[in-house]
Amino acid sequence: MIAGLARPGTSPLHRTAAGTKLAALAIAATTLFFVDDSRLLAVAGAVALALARSTGASFAEIGRDLKGPALVLAVLGLADWWLVDGATALVVVLRLGAIALLAHAVTATTTTAELSEVLERLFAPAERLGLLDAARAALTVTLAMRFVPLIAEEAREIREAQAARGLQGSVLALAVPLLVKVLVRAQDLADAIDARGFPPDRPTSDTEPKTNLRPGSP
Amino acid sequence: MSDMSPESAGSAPGSGDAGLSQTIVFSDVSVVRDGRAALDRVSIGFEEPRIGIVGLNGSGKSTLLKCIVGLVAPTTGTVGVDGRDAVREARAVRRTTGLLFQNPDNQIVMPIVAEDLAFGLKNHGFSKAEIADGVAAGLDRLGIAGLAGRRIHELSGGEKQLVALAGVLAISPKTVLFDEPTAHLDLKNRNRLRDVLHALPEQAIVVSHDLDLLADFPRVVMIEAGRVVRDGSAAEVLANYREASR
Repeated sequence: MIAGLARPGTSPLHRTAAGTKLAALAIAATTLFFVDDSRLLAVAGAVALALARSTGASFAEIGRDLKGPALVLAVLGLADWWLVDGATALVVVLRLGAIALLAHAVTATTTTAELSEVLERLFAPAERLGLLDAARAALTVTLAMRFVPLIAEEAREIREAQAARGLQGSVLALAVPLLVKVLVRAQDLADAIDARGFPPDRPTSDTEPKTNLRPGSP
Repeated sequence: MSDMSPESAGSAPGSGDAGLSQTIVFSDVSVVRDGRAALDRVSIGFEEPRIGIVGLNGSGKSTLLKCIVGLVAPTTGTVGVDGRDAVREARAVRRTTGLLFQNPDNQIVMPIVAEDLAFGLKNHGFSKAEIADGVAAGLDRLGIAGLAGRRIHELSGGEKQLVALAGVLAISPKTVLFDEPTAHLDLKNRNRLRDVLHALPEQAIVVSHDLDLLADFPRVVMIEAGRVVRDGSAAEVLANYREASR
């Protein structure tokens, strides 16, 4: 799943609870790993594509969103074809392609906030055992989603700056300044999260206002 | 960038609405880090609707702002916000005092604009209905309702700064602290932010190197090596700061 790809909409998948969708995705993905018949996998892929389209996403948008996974899939397929045989490669590509499309359908209809709430509920038993703080654990996952594009952008900037100075292709030369930047950002971000009132107050009711203050207006 | 007018951002500039102001008191506050005083025995009060803070890099301006919301605990002394201790009662203080960071990318937590506004409201215990209302109202105030469903990483720097400010305003603070709010903005967005800032009914304490931004503030404070060295009208303090910076 790629967070932040949610599209507004009113499709049946949009109206389905996030927890239900995530559970269904997990069950479907697990089931597909036990299916080796390429005809069944092709049907699964077609169903997954129809689900992805039912969210309102066009073929072009789905293609753009799944460009990265498609590249990985192509490499895997070629490797299997070369190392094993064409039939195995087809099964692997169809299986992972169907899972990617299902994940896209869930992603396109699930906001990060909804996902975060599901994670908090999932982590709640561990919190009761004193193993972790559910809200913090869910926020950690959310932050990873928020900052992947930003860190990728920073890596690109560092690479460009280094290329301008004649340094190219050094993983270490990229990793060190990137790590420093991420650590500096982490401190500021931690302050910002604290300043914005995290961790949340425990909710009292979803229907009755907790305070008589109106949010969002002076 | 979405259309935004000063009118859309709130009521009259610097109105100092009695309900949207707090008394902030630093009592002999020192903050020592790595053997160096970031703030050095600062005693000062803030209650005006607009207060500017100037000083060279490393002079302690940002530390002063962070002390107000309890992000930095004084080594000695206390900071009070409407009678509440900024460290021991940080949660209550943060409910009425928002902080806008210099770099919006370090402040925006969620990947979608509307979700980020909801983040602060959820933290402060608002109900789901209140959060939905607050997000809509917060975006409307700054004229950026059209950005609600946008991904943060696709926004311009100016749009991100407005989203970060909308997130701060969404919780209806009495005071907003601005830490160099125009540092990452081009001229057009700097002017937009200035219009928004001047139109806010909330009390604003603004740290900035952008002296034009502070030019019509009723009070400006100059900090040097962790100490308050000037405190007066914008004309007087900014002239002195310009002279001292030559």
